[in-house]
Amino acid sequence: MNSSWRAEILAIFRKEWRTEVRSLSGLLTALLFSVVTVYAISFAALNTKLQGTVIAGMLWVALLFSAASSLTRTFLAEEENGTADLLRLVARPHAVFWGKALFNIVQCVVTSSLLSILYLGFTSAPVPIPWLFGVSLITGCLSLAGAVTLCGAIAAQATNRSMLAAAISVPLLLPLVALGVSGMRVSLGDGSLSSGGFASVIGLIGYAVATLATGPYIYAAVWKT
Amino acid sequence: MPEGDPRHTIGLCALDQSVYSQLTVEEHLELTADLRGCPARIDELLKKIDLAYARDVVAGHLSTGMRARLKIAMAIQADPAALLLDEPGAGLDEDGRNLVARITSEQSERGCVIVATNDPAERRLANLELELAS
Amino acid sequence: MKTILKALFALVMGVATVWSFKVPDIAYFQAPGFARIFLWHFPCPMLFTFLVITSAWFSIRVFFNPAGLKPETDAIARAEWDLRSVACMELSYLFALLTMATGILFSKVQWGDWWSWDPRQTSFLMVLLIYAAYFAVRLGYSDPSKRTAFSAAYSLLALLPALFLEFIFPYLPPIKLMSLHPTGSILQGKIKGEYAYCMILILILFVIMSIYLYKIRVRTGLIELELENNDAKLDAGRDSAPTGVVRPVSLSE
Repeated sequence: MNSSWRAEILAIFRKEWRTEVRSLSGLLTALLFSVVTVYAISFAALNTKLQGTVIAGMLWVALLFSAASSLTRTFLAEEENGTADLLRLVARPHAVFWGKALFNIVQCVVTSSLLSILYLGFTSAPVPIPWLFGVSLITGCLSLAGAVTLCGAIAAQATNRSMLAAAISVPLLLPLVALGVSGMRVSLGDGSLSSGGFASVIGLIGYAVATLATGPYIYAAVWKT
Repeated sequence: MPEGDPRHTIGLCALDQSVYSQLTVEEHLELTADLRGCPARIDELLKKIDLAYARDVVAGHLSTGMRARLKIAMAIQADPAALLLDEPGAGLDEDGRNLVARITSEQSERGCVIVATNDPAERRLANLELELAS
Repeated sequence: MKTILKALFALVMGVATVWSFKVPDIAYFQAPGFARIFLWHFPCPMLFTFLVITSAWFSIRVFFNPAGLKPETDAIARAEWDLRSVACMELSYLFALLTMATGILFSKVQWGDWWSWDPRQTSFLMVLLIYAAYFAVRLGYSDPSKRTAFSAAYSLLALLPALFLEFIFPYLPPIKLMSLHPTGSILQGKIKGEYAYCMILILILFVIMSIYLYKIRVRTGLIELELENNDAKLDAGRDSAPTGVVRPVSLSE
């Protein structure tokens, strides 16, 4: 990557970071959503000891809806605030996509880490293979961020943009949830590494690579629309 | 249309163009410079648009006129061959309108300026006029 | 001539329907006597897949027109590619719904439940949801050019996960072990003889029907586009301002 691309991507990332840190609206909303969701699903389990698969499933549902509601904001906010035209004047589409995707990855890692810690705390679930849990979470965040960033870009100019962004990102993330659950359940003691642990991580990495590789090109095609 | 990358060759300042309310004046100019790949020239531009005193003020706290000046600075940052101004005097006081006149005069020596306006006073900025009849 | 062909098609479809009830059972299925829905189920996902890939191809054409077209011609070309993409997508969704419906019937008869959470069933439902979102994208944009661009983008975005769910996920070893869905029935020669011939005939008939429906849909859409363009030209003629006047401005102090 030459220095020009790096500077452009970092400029977008820095812009997103500064905007988020100074307004805290997106991050606080995502964190509040995460905390409330964790409490709700832990409460729904009524102190029952749950199997690894159920814990992983509920955690991933929470991650899915948290990502669909908060990560799409990077593009939606540009259109809502009328700043998208400024970006179109001065930026290149690939740099915009990568900068926002990078920010979403960071945001997703932060909120999902908090969500996981809270959830495992509430459910007192043991984690026999912690490295697999961490790897599933990180690769899952990469995939979530890539797909949801692009969904936000597609929905940004619609009349019902917030709802549309959630409506199109959730179905696309369902295969990701399936992969994430099958990896995470192994880390929570349900199943073995050879029966699904490694394959899931590879699947998650593949999904992340596919969305992050094709995302900039699809975004560039609709850039000037 | 001028040849080359439009990010460098065309500068646009539009009435309905928004700025990032959470970023300061300086950060706006840094952002546009990094994205265009051109020198930021922050001190020079802030002096030109007379916003040096508001360097560290976030755009959300700027007045309409100050925001208009910021948009002009971002438009001329890369020394574009063509400068497009949409109602440049809107929201500006007399000093601001004089600034616009200075900028258009400098720009016309370097390239061209296209001004879209309903304000009869801004006709003096041009040497050719295209009147769109209603 | 067209009437004769249509009548012939209806006749052959009737023959295929009767034949599908008459073919001897195949022992391969758990409940062979009730597995005939397979003959109507089998062509549906194949056509669905072919049509979504074709729709994605037309979506690529939306973005990559030949260079040098005038803006109006470019807009019309994009609208036509979009129309073809939508026609394929609508037809593909019809076949997807038929796949799901016939699959549910098969599931009830063979496995005892309308919905067995079989991995194949579940993954295909995900595909249905992914492509339902395509129509949500189209409804979300009232501006035709934005609708064209963003729905084409979504069509391309959705293709990868859809193909993964159809062709990779069901064949993963742990999934294959868990799934009750028959696999490799044709390639391993488990479907043969009269059963296979009936299945191929129904597939051919479905292909012919798809082509016919696609052509009608595209023809209707092109007429609608032409009417819209004519309306736009009439409106432009009514409301257009006279051309501007260019005159040098006199310099004043």
